[in-house]
Amino acid sequence: MQSLGLPAVTGFDEMIGSGSEVRPHYTGYHDWLLQQDRQVLQRKRKEAELQFHRVGITFNVYGEDSGTERLIPFDTLPRIIPGAEWLQLEKGVIQRVQALNLFLHDIYHDQNIIKAGRIPAEQIFGNAQYQPCMQDVDLPNQVYSQISGVDLIRDDAGTWYVLEDNLRTPSGVSYMIENRRMMMRLFPELFAQQTVAPVEHYPTLLLETLQQSAVHSHPTVVLLTPGRFNSAYFEHAFLAQQMGIELVEGADLFVKDGYVYMRTTAGPQRVDVIYRRIDDAFLDPLAFRADSMLGVPGLLSVYREGNVVLANAVGTGVGDDKSIYPYVPDMVRFYLDEEPILANVPTWQCRREAELKEVLARLPELVVKEVHGAGGYGMLVGPAASQAEIEQFRQRLLADPDNYIAQPTLSLSTCPIFVEQGIAPRHIDLRPFVLSGHDTRVVPGGLTRVAMREGSLVVNSSQGGGTKDTWVLEDGEASSC
Amino acid sequence: MKLSINHRTEYRYSELVQHSTQYLRLTPRPSSRQRILNWQMALPESAERASDGYNNILHVLTLDRPHQEIALTVKGEVEITDEDGEDADHRLSPLVFTRYTTLTEPDEALRALASDLPGDNMGRKLENLSETILTAMPFTPGATDVASSASAAYRVGKGVCQDHTHVFLACCRALGMPARYVSGYLYSQDSSHVASHAWAEVWQDDSWHTFDVTNQTRRPRHHLKLAVGMDYMDACPVRGVRFGGGAESLQAVAQVSELGPGDNQ
Repeated sequence: MQSLGLPAVTGFDEMIGSGSEVRPHYTGYHDWLLQQDRQVLQRKRKEAELQFHRVGITFNVYGEDSGTERLIPFDTLPRIIPGAEWLQLEKGVIQRVQALNLFLHDIYHDQNIIKAGRIPAEQIFGNAQYQPCMQDVDLPNQVYSQISGVDLIRDDAGTWYVLEDNLRTPSGVSYMIENRRMMMRLFPELFAQQTVAPVEHYPTLLLETLQQSAVHSHPTVVLLTPGRFNSAYFEHAFLAQQMGIELVEGADLFVKDGYVYMRTTAGPQRVDVIYRRIDDAFLDPLAFRADSMLGVPGLLSVYREGNVVLANAVGTGVGDDKSIYPYVPDMVRFYLDEEPILANVPTWQCRREAELKEVLARLPELVVKEVHGAGGYGMLVGPAASQAEIEQFRQRLLADPDNYIAQPTLSLSTCPIFVEQGIAPRHIDLRPFVLSGHDTRVVPGGLTRVAMREGSLVVNSSQGGGTKDTWVLEDGEASSC
Repeated sequence: MKLSINHRTEYRYSELVQHSTQYLRLTPRPSSRQRILNWQMALPESAERASDGYNNILHVLTLDRPHQEIALTVKGEVEITDEDGEDADHRLSPLVFTRYTTLTEPDEALRALASDLPGDNMGRKLENLSETILTAMPFTPGATDVASSASAAYRVGKGVCQDHTHVFLACCRALGMPARYVSGYLYSQDSSHVASHAWAEVWQDDSWHTFDVTNQTRRPRHHLKLAVGMDYMDACPVRGVRFGGGAESLQAVAQVSELGPGDNQ
């Protein structure tokens, strides 16, 4: 038997401490690992890959030939979070999502946060994500973001930060569930040995959340997908199947006499709640982009009258836009009268002249992002960029400073993955999924994304990132939801 | 001034349409400036009345049986007062109207036009802008179409009221002035003029002020407002989506005439 030695780590590693010791919450796993045969582990990894192909967990990658599907790499070494630490994270993301929902309700109604001078009016109303059609529309429960993904990272010191909020159509939760199933299938003994908080009940909680968002009981809930060419189509089909609801495309729905109906073999059936995985711009070709073939003509008129619920609401993008992100800690103080539990990454707003000046002077060390960008596109990672790339980005910044924010390059914590030679550290992040119905709830853990390339900080699955199973240990302190 | 409106729009299709849905902005909202004496719509089926995000009256018409034509008729009588300057009609922030849209995104030429305006105050600058636009692009039907952007129409150097309005909006927004698109009807003694019309409103001193570029007027005394929005796409009288139908032909007749003082007694 060949054992797996611990790799050297620089920065903060989840498993291995600065003195090259295994962190306490990983000792159970590490003891098990030491007893494993490398060939057996290798075989199990192959098996996982085969299984994922069989169930069809694939991902369309933007920018490649359309229809190109590939597997998101899955690493079998779990990312483990101690129960007590999770408790803090859970409180932090719930607090943040509650504040963001209150913010969205406020700016689409009385706009107290603007009147109080905490956010400049033009930052909201000049933002393309603020939807005029949502002004003064009352939503049941006043919940705008029923499903939120909060991206968390840790720096060199192990301090947690919120990197960004996702309040539009956050994806990835199917990987969280499938990764756990896979680990339980491959290594059942690991789960007998220690208590890992379950995540399998996420679809049940999601369905409850969607049902709670309706005005009356026993609502008909459907999942609206852009179709099989969408990168997250697998997830749409998976969640609909898990929840036992219909998976529909725009053409399956129509609007008549103030309601939304689904075409079924038994005639039209009224729809009460739509879990939509389509962006605002494509929802209703009569109200937004006229060229959208994905949406439902007339949908917005029904929605504004309160005769159908959309999850998430139209116009949530103004809460997770990168230009609004710097204000979120202040939202927590303003709406909840609490101090934020989770910190923001320090952020320079290039729309402010003094901050732009500082950013331009420090480009080689900073990360610069487009305020409306997503998926790791349109950004500059200073330390990894060539002189030419930095100069090119400088011109873009100067041409349109309002369009950019900048942050220090946080190196992200690492967690070992299996590689040819044994195990080696790779950078990771964490996306817990927060559900807002009558209460705000989170299943323990979330999706851990891994930058599979050595040294890389880009964890996005669209750019070659992989995933890991995420364990929250029930060591007596973890809550259960 | 009392006006009588008679507007008929007919869409005909070369093949059967299986299903169609339309947003109709064909009903004026009463205001201090326009009193609605009566207003009727004749539609192929009853439509659901709603409002849109700009507080326009919206009718949603769904035809879910096969059809080969859609005829929409509106008839009404209104009274227009001769005053400019309308209060914000609801709580939407005017700052929303500083944003560009696909149709009102200025290119270099429009940015230059906006930044070089003579005049010692914004009101004078905007009047000069209005004059300059009409000179640069005289009223010429057929040179542009409904999908032409402000920049494209300005390059063509010709246009209709919709193009004049889009160019004006693009320049106002480049100056940071909230400005919105208005669609409606215009009374003209010269019956050769099109009665369906578009003009702009600019937010200044806490109210909306008219700039009708095509007619070089700031007094909307012959103007009946149907809808407002960021651009044509938000405010247009009919916006629809259909499944099937093949080629479409459109015939629209809009007549606006002056009512005598005793005509509606």
